[in-house]
Amino acid sequence: MSTQDKVQINKLPTGVPGLDEIVGGGLPEFSFNIIAGAPGSGKTTLAHQFVFANATPERPALYFTVLGESAIKMLRYQQQYTFFDPAKLSSSIRFINLSQVVLEKDLGAVLDQITKEVEKANPAVVVVDSFRTMVRKPQSDMDLQSFIQRLALFLASWQATTFLIGEYAEDELRDNPIFTVADGLFWLRQTAERNSIVRKLQIVKLRGQDSVPGLHTFRITSAGVQAFSRTFGLTARKRNPPGNRRLSFGIAELDKMLDGGVREGDSVLIAGSSGTGKSVLATQFIAEGVQRGEPGIVAVFEERPEAYAERAAKLGLDLETPQKDGKLKILYLRPLDLSVDETMQSILDAVQKIGAKRLVIDSLAGFEMALSPGFRADFRESLYRMIFALTGIGVTILSTVEVDESFTEFPFSTYSISFLCDDILRLRYVSIDGQLRKIMVVIKMRGGNHAKDIREYEITSKGVVILGKRLTNYQALISGIPNHSDPSDATEEPSLDTGIEHKT
Amino acid sequence: MTIRLETRELARCLLIYESELDDSSEPGASPTLHVYEKLRRTLCIFAGAAGFYSIASRALALVRSEDPRLSAARITEDGTLEGLDLVQHQTDFDKGVGGDPAGEAGVALIARLLELLQIFLGEALTANLLRVTWPGTALDECDSEKGRKA
Repeated sequence: MSTQDKVQINKLPTGVPGLDEIVGGGLPEFSFNIIAGAPGSGKTTLAHQFVFANATPERPALYFTVLGESAIKMLRYQQQYTFFDPAKLSSSIRFINLSQVVLEKDLGAVLDQITKEVEKANPAVVVVDSFRTMVRKPQSDMDLQSFIQRLALFLASWQATTFLIGEYAEDELRDNPIFTVADGLFWLRQTAERNSIVRKLQIVKLRGQDSVPGLHTFRITSAGVQAFSRTFGLTARKRNPPGNRRLSFGIAELDKMLDGGVREGDSVLIAGSSGTGKSVLATQFIAEGVQRGEPGIVAVFEERPEAYAERAAKLGLDLETPQKDGKLKILYLRPLDLSVDETMQSILDAVQKIGAKRLVIDSLAGFEMALSPGFRADFRESLYRMIFALTGIGVTILSTVEVDESFTEFPFSTYSISFLCDDILRLRYVSIDGQLRKIMVVIKMRGGNHAKDIREYEITSKGVVILGKRLTNYQALISGIPNHSDPSDATEEPSLDTGIEHKT
Repeated sequence: MTIRLETRELARCLLIYESELDDSSEPGASPTLHVYEKLRRTLCIFAGAAGFYSIASRALALVRSEDPRLSAARITEDGTLEGLDLVQHQTDFDKGVGGDPAGEAGVALIARLLELLQIFLGEALTANLLRVTWPGTALDECDSEKGRKA
């Protein structure tokens, strides 16, 4: 059967930001779905968002309430969400209470009632909230199975997309006929992690759709449920192959060390101990980009955007004007229960809004602290996903990381994430001639030639300035306590021709 | 907790509309009961009989505390209002819309019911429910009546 002979399944918008991406582009039309989870996990809100996104006067939504939260109370609270449009209630959305028939009659009568209402209204969307309470009365397995199958068959035949909402525990997944019949199963979880609450969503099954597997975090705000895909909503976007363009730091000597600058689309790590100038370098990188017409995003976790801009101003770097011009955005991400996915969403929104080419994350330690404890455990994996996603759309990422200064080791990062980075620049203190001076070295540059020179630098009122001459008369510079090998202190200009380590 | 004037006027307007609609002119016919029944039917579909019963009982309790003549009225389990015909009006002036035996107490009961809906659901949703209940021009007429008074 050729592709054009196959039935085309329409995909309906879920009305939940981020969820369309997770379910593979939208919810299959006429599907029979379950939203399961514990009380308070956001089931009703999710269903309401779908209803408000899809109900029309021609094809309205029928929202059957059963035992549980009363319709009056439910609407009292649901109308607080911004997606709630009261005008739709008279024309497109009808609430019908089935409590009496459920309490007084059997499942056959319930089905008759639903059938009658559906035939009358010709709805595009049907919700039963809560389905669990509807089938709680003792009945034989056969009765229940038959009821569910007849209901699913009827609603699909009447071209309705259906959501049954229920409070189910995960161990009920087996042996429950409803999960077998359902085309889609959305499981919402809410767990406490130390002092943080983390909400996660899983598409346990979704027939005919290429949904994104795994647990996706979500948040409930005044706008309703917002889901954050583990793929950051970038699966549908074309990956940009890395180009050959080099991005300048605005520091000529450093660009030379990097064989002309950072390769566009790379992930760069600047590692060093406190005070070595990581943030200064990051600021120069972003400011240089803005000056060259490459909009940038700075994600800060340890200081406010105003303070960050003020500090840049002291280096002669104007971050205020580009912010006003929409060329630069400084994001302050501090809540302590963030997921990486939420952080990513904020960054992505900003990237898309201003067409950012450069992103600075200052710092990874601050980023980690902003996450809820459970996400900190997965920080490395999360970073991998984030870097892969962002560099894939052509954004060049520069992250700073603080490393403990040691005179016996030369670590690149406390997170063992060096493999995630294309380029690593290491800054460190070194004791020379009775002074604590600073050196930098390019440790790694994937797919490029970089200098292997160890260069001394200073932080001045103009930012990081690499001193003119390579230190050649010292042994064991990277230990931090070098030995002077030549008392004459002869130095020579760094030579890229002789000092380049070729890597592929 | 007094009833807002505009809610009372809306209740009165609905009663007038129903009394004009009722051409049976049957003695003792109660516009209050007609309005109440229409509200009951809409709200029972929406909130269930139990949901309607609870809110109607509250409305009746509030009105009774203001007007003891309504002590004879009661709400059954399915939300039906009974005993309204036992309510005695004291004066001709007090006799309500269309000679409603419930008199001003009927207006107060409907107004209380509407006000509770407005408290729980907000004015916009309550207005939507009323439009579903009176899909014709009743509410427009009430609105224009309100406008004239304003």
